[in-house]
Amino acid sequence: MVTNKSMQLFNGSGRLYKRYPMIGRFLENWSVFNESLIGRIGLVLLAVFALMALFSFFTPMIDPMYHPMTGVDPQISNSTGPSWRHWLGTDFIGRDILCQLLAGARIAFMVGISAAFMSIVLGTIIGMIAGYAGHIVDTLLMRLADMIMVMPTLLVVLILSSLFGQLNIWTIVLLIALFRWPGVSRVIRAQTLSLKQRPFIEAAKVTGVSHFRIIFRHIMPNVLPLSLLYMTFRVTSAIIIEAALAFLGFGDPGTVSWGMMLQWVWKTGHMFQAPYWLLPPGICISLLTLSFYMLGRAMEEVIDPRLREEGEIE
Amino acid sequence: MEIRRFILKRLIEICIIFFVILTVLFLLFHLSPGDPVTKMVDPTMTPEDAEHLIDQLGLNQPLWLQYIYYLKNFFSGNFGTSFHYGEPVFAVILNRLPNTIVLFTTAIILSAFVGIFFGKIASWHKGKQTDTWITLGALICHTIFLPWLALLMIWVFAFKVGWFPLNGMISPEVWTNPSAGLWHKLLDVIHHMILPLATLFCIHFGSYLLIMRSSMLDTLKEDYILTARAKGLDEKVIRNRHAAPNAALPVVTSVGLSLAFSINGGALTETVFSWPGIGRELVFAVSNNDYPLAMASFLLIAIVVLLANLVVDVLYAYLDPRIRY
Repeated sequence: MVTNKSMQLFNGSGRLYKRYPMIGRFLENWSVFNESLIGRIGLVLLAVFALMALFSFFTPMIDPMYHPMTGVDPQISNSTGPSWRHWLGTDFIGRDILCQLLAGARIAFMVGISAAFMSIVLGTIIGMIAGYAGHIVDTLLMRLADMIMVMPTLLVVLILSSLFGQLNIWTIVLLIALFRWPGVSRVIRAQTLSLKQRPFIEAAKVTGVSHFRIIFRHIMPNVLPLSLLYMTFRVTSAIIIEAALAFLGFGDPGTVSWGMMLQWVWKTGHMFQAPYWLLPPGICISLLTLSFYMLGRAMEEVIDPRLREEGEIE
Repeated sequence: MEIRRFILKRLIEICIIFFVILTVLFLLFHLSPGDPVTKMVDPTMTPEDAEHLIDQLGLNQPLWLQYIYYLKNFFSGNFGTSFHYGEPVFAVILNRLPNTIVLFTTAIILSAFVGIFFGKIASWHKGKQTDTWITLGALICHTIFLPWLALLMIWVFAFKVGWFPLNGMISPEVWTNPSAGLWHKLLDVIHHMILPLATLFCIHFGSYLLIMRSSMLDTLKEDYILTARAKGLDEKVIRNRHAAPNAALPVVTSVGLSLAFSINGGALTETVFSWPGIGRELVFAVSNNDYPLAMASFLLIAIVVLLANLVVDVLYAYLDPRIRY
């Protein structure tokens, strides 16, 4: 059973819970989340990466040579191994790898969270409309979703970048969002369909509430937890797509991302000589993906009580 | 009978979807900045050849007529000429298609079977050490960044240990050697294929295993498993004959749903290992601004994805007698 401090806090006197039901619910959910080992590991990993992203703002302030994109060490003009001056070594023109790694964390968070957020907003709204409206609207929207779902996002973005030239980072984020909503909207649609049968929606309809208000005030709060859960999974896929795109050489040339670092080590032929350069970006991408995945799995248990007894991976 | 009607219905759907993709691609091509003629016609061509090609593609016609030409050319297999190879695009991509299909299907089928097998084992020993280790391994396989894994594979197994070739699909000295038999050539291809196959296998194996594990855990709670236990059946029989076949169905679904994702992975793997497949051709064409080749490879990949989806659907209907379309 769930027995820890936060539970006692709102179970005991019950006053806090009564006055602020939001806090009480949050604490309850938090204690379920906290029970799962993978959720905690995921959160810790995520915090480490967030710190990395934060530090990336400070490194160029120490010395301009630590700027991830333009900072070149005046004494070094090729790739060198780890040293006191450059903890993880330098790349082929003498830029600090650690600083690039930190900057990469910032880009990964930016791309992942903004693309996931946009696709979730899109997916939730489309899913709710499809589920609520039914009939022809539903059919059309779901066919569209099916169609987008079978398209390999990476290759679509690739072909677009061949037609429209080099894409900048925000265009990439937008494209990822535009192609990653169908999965979410299907889930939200199914949820909306079952909500539609509930008495409170009937009641709202009878009292003459507009469709718009029903969707956004009555249905949306009920599907939002599910959207949030899907957001964590979308973050990983957005990060992976951006990294893969950068790896293939179609990333935004104005940014330093982990995929870009891997592309540099691969294309400049340092792969076999410079493990200090090859290993960190890949480890970072994989670990960040893993942490979001773990977070999602733990959140699943919070949102779907059926999973709580078992089904968790430890 | 019914399944035949289902296939027909899906085929019509596929045709409609493909038609939409074709049209969108045409529109994007004309919406994008730059002159369509310079995009489709190789600048190194002689003026007469260029004229001929422009005529053939209808690039000097009004837009709606160009669209008709575009469709006509597509269905007669005329995609223009690749800038890089100087050959008709159709011949180039048709050449690459089997390589992709061999690598891709082998990897998917292998990883599905192995994933199902280990997922079964893991769920059976739920909460024990076996489960923990298998699941941890699957999680790592599932979340590792594919191109990086491919680079690591090359670094470790091809460069450090030297067991496998660095990249490519064949070694020229074997294939140009007249005394080398078919068996020898086949072995050479397999030797080249192992690393890319292992990479693709790893990525898919993890997700299939995780799905199988959770699906199996659900299945084990079902009443009919309890019945089987009550009948006193052997545990192995319950696991392998009663629970596993039903639990494996979501894996088949996920093969279909994750197909787009797998195609992305396939393109990345082919690119890193220089495997002469269609995905690598697309990446290559895009980086060389070889528009005819890029568009044709993209369309071919779209066809492959759509047809593969159909195959998975039919397979699903075949495996699950409850589903009749």
